[in-house]
Amino acid sequence: MSKRIFINIVPGKTFLHRLSGKTKVGLFIVCIVYTIMSFDLRLLAPLMFLSLIAIVSLKPDWKVIIVLFIAIFLMNFFNIFLYWVVKPNIGSEWTGGTSTILYSFSSYYFVSLETLWYLLVRLFKMLTSFAVSMAFILSITPSELASGLHGLGVPYKICTVVSLAFRYIPDISRDYENIKVSMQARGVEMDLRKTPILKRLKQTIYILFPLIITSFDRIGNIANALDLRGYGLKKDRTYYAEVEPTMMDRFFRWSTLALFIFCLAWIVSRNIWEPATKMWFPFEV
Amino acid sequence: MKNPVIEFHDFGFRYASQSEPTLHGINLTIFEGEKVLILGPSGSGKSTLANCINGLIPFSFKGESTGEVKVAGMDTRHAGIFSLSKHVGTVLQDSDAQFVALSVGEDIAFALENQAVKRSMMIPQVIAAASIVGMQDFLNHVPYALSGGQKQKVSLAGVLHEHVDIVLFDEPLASLDPKAGMHAVELIDDIHSQGKTVVIIEHRLEDVLHREVDRILVMDEGRIVFDGDADTLLCGKLLPEIGIREPLFITQMHHAGCVLHADDHPSSVTRFNLDPYRDSLLNFIQTEIQPKAHYPGEVLIEATNVRFSYDTQEAIKNISFQVRKGEKIAFIGKNGAGKSTMAKLLCGIVRPDHGSITYQKTDLKTWSIREIGEKIGFVMQNPNQMLVKNIIKEEVAFALTLRNLPQSEIDERVQRALTVCGLWPMRNWPVSAVSYGQRKRITVAAMLALDTEVLILDEPTAGQDYRHYTEIMDFLDDLNRQTGITIIFITHDMHLAIEYTDRAIVFADGEKIADDLVVEVLSDNEIIEKANLKQTSLYTLALRLGLPAQTLVDHFIGHEREVKIHE
Repeated sequence: MSKRIFINIVPGKTFLHRLSGKTKVGLFIVCIVYTIMSFDLRLLAPLMFLSLIAIVSLKPDWKVIIVLFIAIFLMNFFNIFLYWVVKPNIGSEWTGGTSTILYSFSSYYFVSLETLWYLLVRLFKMLTSFAVSMAFILSITPSELASGLHGLGVPYKICTVVSLAFRYIPDISRDYENIKVSMQARGVEMDLRKTPILKRLKQTIYILFPLIITSFDRIGNIANALDLRGYGLKKDRTYYAEVEPTMMDRFFRWSTLALFIFCLAWIVSRNIWEPATKMWFPFEV
Repeated sequence: MKNPVIEFHDFGFRYASQSEPTLHGINLTIFEGEKVLILGPSGSGKSTLANCINGLIPFSFKGESTGEVKVAGMDTRHAGIFSLSKHVGTVLQDSDAQFVALSVGEDIAFALENQAVKRSMMIPQVIAAASIVGMQDFLNHVPYALSGGQKQKVSLAGVLHEHVDIVLFDEPLASLDPKAGMHAVELIDDIHSQGKTVVIIEHRLEDVLHREVDRILVMDEGRIVFDGDADTLLCGKLLPEIGIREPLFITQMHHAGCVLHADDHPSSVTRFNLDPYRDSLLNFIQTEIQPKAHYPGEVLIEATNVRFSYDTQEAIKNISFQVRKGEKIAFIGKNGAGKSTMAKLLCGIVRPDHGSITYQKTDLKTWSIREIGEKIGFVMQNPNQMLVKNIIKEEVAFALTLRNLPQSEIDERVQRALTVCGLWPMRNWPVSAVSYGQRKRITVAAMLALDTEVLILDEPTAGQDYRHYTEIMDFLDDLNRQTGITIIFITHDMHLAIEYTDRAIVFADGEKIADDLVVEVLSDNEIIEKANLKQTSLYTLALRLGLPAQTLVDHFIGHEREVKIHE
């Protein structure tokens, strides 16, 4: 394959790679819940820090990650900028009503410490969820994802859909390339410079039609291959990719559980019991 | 007496979607430990028979059956596909579709996973199965990095668990190059010698006979028309009648007027008793053959010092050659040798890193893919990947419409192309209603409508039985004779090269290792070895007769040509 996909298919060798699929999926889900529920730098910063350590420990291909990071950063930066444009005083609503103006463009457009803090936390939250997801994606293989989901109680037929999709996406994209060049040779112009976008979209049909037909042939064969090897025979199924839990897995599973309980407590106390109206703001006067 | 493991009693089957039965009155017993080849042209019902053994019928394909089938003592109608899968392992033709997991180990484990075997019990079984097929060092490999032969080994290992004592191979050779096919046949033989009952469904008789089989069943039109050993089969006249290709050396012996006897074991080119036939064969090569008329036309394509790399992998290493007008050329080499990449370079799909390719002295780099497409047409292996329209006529007109030609000219060109391809009467038929071979013709017609002067066909006969193979190739041959079109075949089929091309360019590891008349190339064992191809049985026959291989091949081609002209 000329373009290496960025996900791993072969299990890696580092400490996080070697955890079982169930541990990784469980930890990821809880971390995402944690990120979503917290709008507090005291909670986000440690997770961000741990995720970064995790990413470093996974020895990734930094080039791809940095490009992705920059893209995500710019997108979210633009996002918070829009927040500011729409409501320059948005931070005050969350920090207790004060506005410490640092710089002002006009009576409406000003930069306040409160808004800056609010937007910083918002950006930080996005970047944390990016770091968590990145650590997860880098540490897991599609097979472990399937086995991990199954381990957490997802029916195995759904897990199979996940792993089959990863299995056949490269095959289908190869078919796509083949069909595309054959259409180009027949005269379908797909040069980005020569064809307007609408026409190019229309021409995609010339590729999709044969692609769907060939994929249907393949689906029939795959279905037979599954049946012939007893797929769907039993209510439960085991996974070759699901390694036996080690001490480390046990440690991480207990940590996950602890974190999960913390999340529950936090959500109950801050969102349900007595909904919080203020965020943590260290510069409060 | 051994135990019967597969029994058919007066069995008949009709698919729910068809009005006529596919199988009629099948009576058949296969015993424990036998190695049986089920031979038959496409549509003879041999795959249907296989599906009755592994339980896909009636599990996945619905229909109406009469009589009964017992496999491993179970009636397949009541046993269900899962209980059968514990006894019968099926290796499908499409090893890509059968490879459902993301690594070798995981794929071999697939059946065990489904039986919810504990992982600790699973691992040793996976390693054991992988060792049988020699893939134990590849357990962590992903499917995309494996060759067709390796994928098939994995498929085989995936069905070789515990209780599986019957292994069914559905056209195991269809997607392999000849050398890989030979290894597959050897591997199947190893599996058989370990005590498994082996059933092989194939139409490539010569390749299967590379290793001995106990019994051959020949199917035609849904019936078993022969049940016996290979020697008897080869002495009869059945094979040509039903459209199955005989081994090449047997055809040669028939050409020489030999009447074969089963006692001489003609099923093996290395072991059969040659003495009674030696004289006829020696006489045969004394006959005059018309030297092939060769009219080298003007140079159409000239490749000079072409180099090309995918990322860091050098795919084409400094290749130069010429193609002349009206030639039929074979690009041969095993999978991955660079022949397809060379074809892509000729079509402008990829461009050379160094060197140049010219068409009638114009450098191709000055043309877009689309412009090159008007001169050099590329016909993909799978016609389904090329067909976009519903109606045959529209499909052929597709490229012309895109070029905004006037309607009158489009009509005229479409009519001409369809007439040449013998599809004019079917012009208003839906594409989906015609056979594979006819779809191939449609793709060729679509190229002809563009007035292309060169056709490049990628494995035009892959997966086709002899009847369809002959149909497609004779059509292309006629086309070449009638219109003078230049044809390049990308193939690893030596038979195709011998019978239908004038010149062969042999690729190995991105280099051109030979460029000569087919006869010369095929009689040079060194080239064949280097290209990792498989020598034809004519070569072995020549060795045994103590003749230069070239003489024998020359006479073979000469005779075939004469026969064709007389027809």
